[in-house]
Amino acid sequence: MGLKCCLGGTTFHTLKIAVIPSSSYSSTFRPLSKTLTLGPLLLPRLHKLSSLPQLLPRALSAAPAIQATPSPNPDERVVKLQWKAAIDFKWIRDNKAAVAANVKNRNSNANLELVLELYERMLNVQKEVERLRAERNVVANKMKGKLEPSERQKLIEEGKILKEGLATLEEDLIAVTDELQQEAQRIPNMTHPDVPVGGEDCSVLRKVVGSPRMFRFPIKDHVQLGKDLDLIEFDAAAEVSGSKFYYLKNEAVLLEMALINWTISEVTRRGFTPLITPEIVRSSVVEKCGFQPRGENTQVYSIEGSDQCLIGTAEIPVGGIHMDSILAESALPLKYVAYSHCFRTEAGAAGTATRGLYRVHQFSKVEMFILCRPEESDSYHEELIGIEEHLFSSLGFHFKTLDMASVDLGAPAYRKFDIEAWMPGLGRFGEISSASSCTDYQSRRLGIRYRPEASSSSSPKKGKGNLAPTQFVHTLNATACAVPRMMICLLENFQQDDGSVIIPEPLRPFTGGLEVITPKSR
Amino acid sequence: MGLQCCLGGLKLVSSIPPSSYSSSILRPKTLTLALLLHRHQHSPTLPLPFIVRALSSPAIQTTPSSLPDEKFVKPQWKASIDFKWIRDDKVAMAANIENRNSSANLELVLELYEKMLTVQKEVELLRAERNVVANKMKGKLEPAERQKLIEEGKNIKEGLVSLEEDLLKLTDELQQEAQRIPNMSHPDVPVGGEDCSVVRKMVGSPQVFGFPVKDHLQLGRDLDLIDFDAAAEVSGSKFYYLKNAAVLLEMALVNWTIAQVMRRGFTPLTTPEIVRSSIVEKCGFQPRGENTQVYSIEGSDQCLIGTAEIPVGGIHMDSILAETSLPLKYVALSHCFRTEAGAAGTATRGLYRVHQFSKVEMFILCRPEESNSYHEELIRIEEDLFSSLGFHFKILDMASGDLGAPAYRKFDVEAWMPGLGRFGEISSASNCTDYQSRRLGIRYRPEAASTIPTKGKGNLAPPQFVHTLNATACAVPRMIVCLLENYQQEDGSVVIPEPLRPFMGGLEVIRPKSS
Repeated sequence: MGLKCCLGGTTFHTLKIAVIPSSSYSSTFRPLSKTLTLGPLLLPRLHKLSSLPQLLPRALSAAPAIQATPSPNPDERVVKLQWKAAIDFKWIRDNKAAVAANVKNRNSNANLELVLELYERMLNVQKEVERLRAERNVVANKMKGKLEPSERQKLIEEGKILKEGLATLEEDLIAVTDELQQEAQRIPNMTHPDVPVGGEDCSVLRKVVGSPRMFRFPIKDHVQLGKDLDLIEFDAAAEVSGSKFYYLKNEAVLLEMALINWTISEVTRRGFTPLITPEIVRSSVVEKCGFQPRGENTQVYSIEGSDQCLIGTAEIPVGGIHMDSILAESALPLKYVAYSHCFRTEAGAAGTATRGLYRVHQFSKVEMFILCRPEESDSYHEELIGIEEHLFSSLGFHFKTLDMASVDLGAPAYRKFDIEAWMPGLGRFGEISSASSCTDYQSRRLGIRYRPEASSSSSPKKGKGNLAPTQFVHTLNATACAVPRMMICLLENFQQDDGSVIIPEPLRPFTGGLEVITPKSR
Repeated sequence: MGLQCCLGGLKLVSSIPPSSYSSSILRPKTLTLALLLHRHQHSPTLPLPFIVRALSSPAIQTTPSSLPDEKFVKPQWKASIDFKWIRDDKVAMAANIENRNSSANLELVLELYEKMLTVQKEVELLRAERNVVANKMKGKLEPAERQKLIEEGKNIKEGLVSLEEDLLKLTDELQQEAQRIPNMSHPDVPVGGEDCSVVRKMVGSPQVFGFPVKDHLQLGRDLDLIDFDAAAEVSGSKFYYLKNAAVLLEMALVNWTIAQVMRRGFTPLTTPEIVRSSIVEKCGFQPRGENTQVYSIEGSDQCLIGTAEIPVGGIHMDSILAETSLPLKYVALSHCFRTEAGAAGTATRGLYRVHQFSKVEMFILCRPEESNSYHEELIRIEEDLFSSLGFHFKILDMASGDLGAPAYRKFDVEAWMPGLGRFGEISSASNCTDYQSRRLGIRYRPEAASTIPTKGKGNLAPPQFVHTLNATACAVPRMIVCLLENYQQEDGSVVIPEPLRPFMGGLEVIRPKSS
């Protein structure tokens, strides 16, 4: 067929090889089957048949055009996607101006024009596939009747040509769909209207709590305090594991346990379900949460010889707990408080900000995570930052809450509140927590939906029987306690003239009554 | 030189990829130092006839080895193995290897050791000759005589270079083979396979139930405590989420255990869970290979720990401790990661065998003469802990065939798990004597040791290797199996044992959700 020569042999061949094996098209494209053939059969039900043959040659001159388009990740272009996000392309197309402004405000490298171009292409190929399929059916139906041998032969030939054309087109459809996915996945979440537009310095102060403690003696930083009180061992860890690892020792161990216990009990009291999570997860789950487990500057440790990696935050395994499921509306909100160890390569991190416990490869963290109905995510975001503020003020920290600027938001976040606490030894504020609303960014990737109740009236067109169509939940995550940074605050803020450190009241029931860490007498 | 042709050029070259000789020893800097040290220890004698045999490396090649593919992997570090002792106690050594069903090849080790000694001597001989020549050249000489000496020196130098290379190769090979020799065994260790292990003690009696018992899987599901299904999707099989009261239970177990063990004078630690592979090896584990239990980090020489024994063992690596600082007693909390390659069957049901778990581990470094009594102390602590939780368990003196290479003696505790309907291992206490310390380089300097003046420098006694011991204080998932299965009630609830309640905010019973 004439179309074939447009595909640009070698390039397409590479694509094709990458495409066919191990492909697991997620929900949107191949919900029912593992084979290539079944998938397209579903398409006629989803799209009206209309043929646009004149557009096809352009649409199918895919390979060279795509290759020539500049991309920041040229090497990853042909990598087969392991999963698909349920991205609402139609919405992106219909809200192009807003999406473009958002991409710009967030300093994202997403290529919106390319996404839209690929989307149009995909639609065209899809339609052409449907047209050819319809023709093939016509031919097949004709052959059911009594026919002259010559006429039958003609139909057989016709059918064969159609089949060949269809096979090529279907392959092309897959290639375009993959590329569209890949490009579209780089589009960041939309942004809450109140988010300040700009770089980090544009972040807006929401609240300041407490005031810096006055010291009448020369203060030490936590590294010095850790050494003097025999609480932290960096040197041995550097030999055994590498730099930025550490052992906690003596009272620091009790302090870590107390922080975790106290935090979990405070947060469970507010109706959160406690969890302890796996710390090794499939890379795909990491990706679906909006992190990049591969590449030069990844923060993610990968397990050799497997598709697994170590979690950088419990947000990942908690996000995954309801993956690919439809929740009952009555089950929402789901509120979790998860304790895990977190592992980060901290590739590229350097400088004084990385001193001591501030930036380390491994740490314990208690993380809050909420899955809720879309209309409630803003108020749960307020709830999460409220819990954080309560936790940190009951420990007596001096801190500020920031509404983070657009450029400082990770791709999944719709809005992010950071808390920076005063660390007198380091002589600056340091981030101790972060609360993000990810709206449906993660749920569209993780496939977490809910079915609204009693909605027979609203959209009967799409519903099956009385069931309302499913919707994606919103997800939110927030740090309740990142142990090492809490430890910095505790040691540096509550140090005394005699070198001891006072443990704040709320933690004492969890340290076996220990009230003060005093220097060892030797 | 004549010696060179004995090395069997091509074969040798092909069997030693150049890249494999990358570590310290081959580099001249270290080389000279190492050889200089040998000089002090061995008087130069000249068994020249032996050298030819010693260097006929094909003999080495044909010696059977159970690990043929790994033969020429360059060791990244060296254990301070006491070869002389191995040679002098050959009979005991051979019996021990047999008793422990070890694949170590003692004959090969001894053969390599003799070869190495011989080459060492020859190296020293040639070096002495070279010095003689060098000294002669310092004087005034006839040009012809000087030329002759230059030639002579050149020949000696060439011979020395190839001999030194050979020495390195032999030393490496010796290390590799000798590292496979297991620790010696305590005289009381029963000889034989697992069924020969001897019951030291039986504590408590099995709980009698007046209702059909559930296993911990069923209880975990009914009480909404454990989620295996979501973990299988997110992570893979044998992963799990702990949920609701199970989270409190884990934290209570960890907190209570650390408090109990700290009270006995142990220093609490939390440890790195990513460590260099070499540390894993030095502790006696195999981080590489088909059936390794160890997860490795991609693109690095690091792996995940399978037990806190590894980072705690490493904490005093390459150091000489003061005798007064001993014993060092640690109680370490870490998460542990194991591939569980090859594990299958009913024993792997539920929480019994999982890829990730929290564990509190005890670790002691002590003087050699004290390790047996600290081993008793460790098993006594375990016994105290498990009996105060009301478990029914037995303590076993594990048979020789069941000891890992580092262990001199091992006591296992197996507790009754009524839901699984069998005893299951919940802890293990091992005395590793100097097996790990010789690899990790952990020594101490005995005080007031003027008794051994010959080896000492000044008044200092020579350092000795410490003994290390490790013992599980609390492997959380198996404790949860015991707790759930033993303390289940007819109404489906589970009673929390008294000692844990203060650590669970007073929670006494885990009840089914009313939903």
